[in-house]
Amino acid sequence: MADIIHFHKVSHRYPGTGRDVLSELSFTLGEGEMAFLTGASGAGKSTLLRLVALLARAHRGQVVVNGQNLAGLSRQAIPAYRQQIGMIFQNFNLLHDRSVFDNVALPLVIRGYAWADIGRKVRAALDTVGLLGKEALLPQTLSGGEQQRVGIARAVVTRPLLLLADEPTGNLDPRMASEVMKLFQRFNEVGVSVLVATHAIDLIQGMGPRIIHLEQGRISDAQPTAASQLGAGHGR
Amino acid sequence: MAAEDGLRRPGWLARQGREHARVFFFSLGKLWQRPAATLLSALAIGVTLALPAALQTGVRNLEALASRWEGQVQASLFLRDSVTEAQGQALAERLRQRPGVRGVDYLSREQSLADFRALSGFGEALDQLQDNPLPAVLLLRPDPVQDRAQIARLVEELAALPEVELARLDQQWLERLQAVLALIERLILGLGLVLGLAVVVIIGNTVRLDIEARREEIEVMKLVGAPDAFIRRPFLYTGLWYGLGGALLAQLLVVAGWLALQGPAQALSGLYGSPQGLLGPSAGLLVGLQLLGPLLGLAGAWLSVSRRLGQIEPV
Repeated sequence: MADIIHFHKVSHRYPGTGRDVLSELSFTLGEGEMAFLTGASGAGKSTLLRLVALLARAHRGQVVVNGQNLAGLSRQAIPAYRQQIGMIFQNFNLLHDRSVFDNVALPLVIRGYAWADIGRKVRAALDTVGLLGKEALLPQTLSGGEQQRVGIARAVVTRPLLLLADEPTGNLDPRMASEVMKLFQRFNEVGVSVLVATHAIDLIQGMGPRIIHLEQGRISDAQPTAASQLGAGHGR
Repeated sequence: MAAEDGLRRPGWLARQGREHARVFFFSLGKLWQRPAATLLSALAIGVTLALPAALQTGVRNLEALASRWEGQVQASLFLRDSVTEAQGQALAERLRQRPGVRGVDYLSREQSLADFRALSGFGEALDQLQDNPLPAVLLLRPDPVQDRAQIARLVEELAALPEVELARLDQQWLERLQAVLALIERLILGLGLVLGLAVVVIIGNTVRLDIEARREEIEVMKLVGAPDAFIRRPFLYTGLWYGLGGALLAQLLVVAGWLALQGPAQALSGLYGSPQGLLGPSAGLLVGLQLLGPLLGLAGAWLSVSRRLGQIEPV
């Protein structure tokens, strides 16, 4: 199986901080694989996703995505590169002055597809996330879970090779969070590679996909601690 | 890539046309959503553009006036005292046949004296004189289609005639007026350049505020892989609309000013015996404004958006 993401001894630090957020991190995500990225806040989960999405560039080491070494991509090549990736955020990152339909259609409009095809694809994506009746609404009139599903529809409408999600359930109640995670699994079943950074250990334990646990910028063998166990430990 | 299945991508030209049509209405809609702010910005641009346009129209009127006066230029050929009245009349008749001459009047020495007596008020003083000191004069009106150099050449030729003592073309003041008008025109050009620059700055700043207000939107666009051209386009159209709206308002202001001054101007010229209305702004000026406004808007927006776009990156 070819690798969709390949990190080789990647280190990264933010300017002005003397500490590496990621240090000599190596890991791979296979094509068609789904994995969860866990770790405490500041362990480097978001940074890892940012490096994959080229929102930041690694200071040392190699990041190869879908066979492309990201160090070799010029600024001009970034938009075309990002079009291969679907991204989902904790704060949804929707355009609040446009309808649900327009938000989901945006990646297709950027690519210049025929209007009729755009309409068909957008409705198919909204159907997948269960929002078919709400295409004319503005995002703010939707619940958090619905807004996140709009974000997911926007990320998958182009059928990307790779889905990246950064704390997608951070603002959702447990039932919605569980639905969103199941949605990711369904996309993975049709061949999309998925990498989800999350704190929701309870939710993902026993779901199946591999769990990559980060501790201080390194991959750790330790198992992530679920919130429920923290609570139990406290009571003891 | 599997992503492309079931999706048709029209040809480049069709894509561009459709995208521009989309942004055309989108950017117009954005401006329409806040009509007061849009109108105020357009008005600032309109006033800035209207100023040089109005001055230009003013100069156009002065030039028309000057050329009307030029049509009334006449040359005075003072005849030698030895030329008899019959010879003078014959010369006048000969000159009427010359090309470039519209008319010639013969004024005998007696007529000159009578005119002078009537007009100058020195009648009694003149009575003291034994001889009539005034020469006979041919008043020659050159054909006004000729330019000044041609008229000057004609008068020079006539001055060389044996019957003519002295030929004078009274147009020095007109030349001075023309020179002053040329200077004013140059000043207006300079003023126009400066104010054009001001329009670029005004629109650039308006677009900059717009970019700041839509910073999040730009970040999201970048996140989903929008190229710079895609993000830039609506802002460029916004600049275009401001320029177009400003130019339209400038035209309105100039035309309104023209109409407002029309009545008084007619009354004034009526006092001088030739009721002439004001000339309106020239078609060239109106078309030029309509072309220049959008161009300046585009330039301002381009400067602003290319400076800011690189600085906004998703975090």
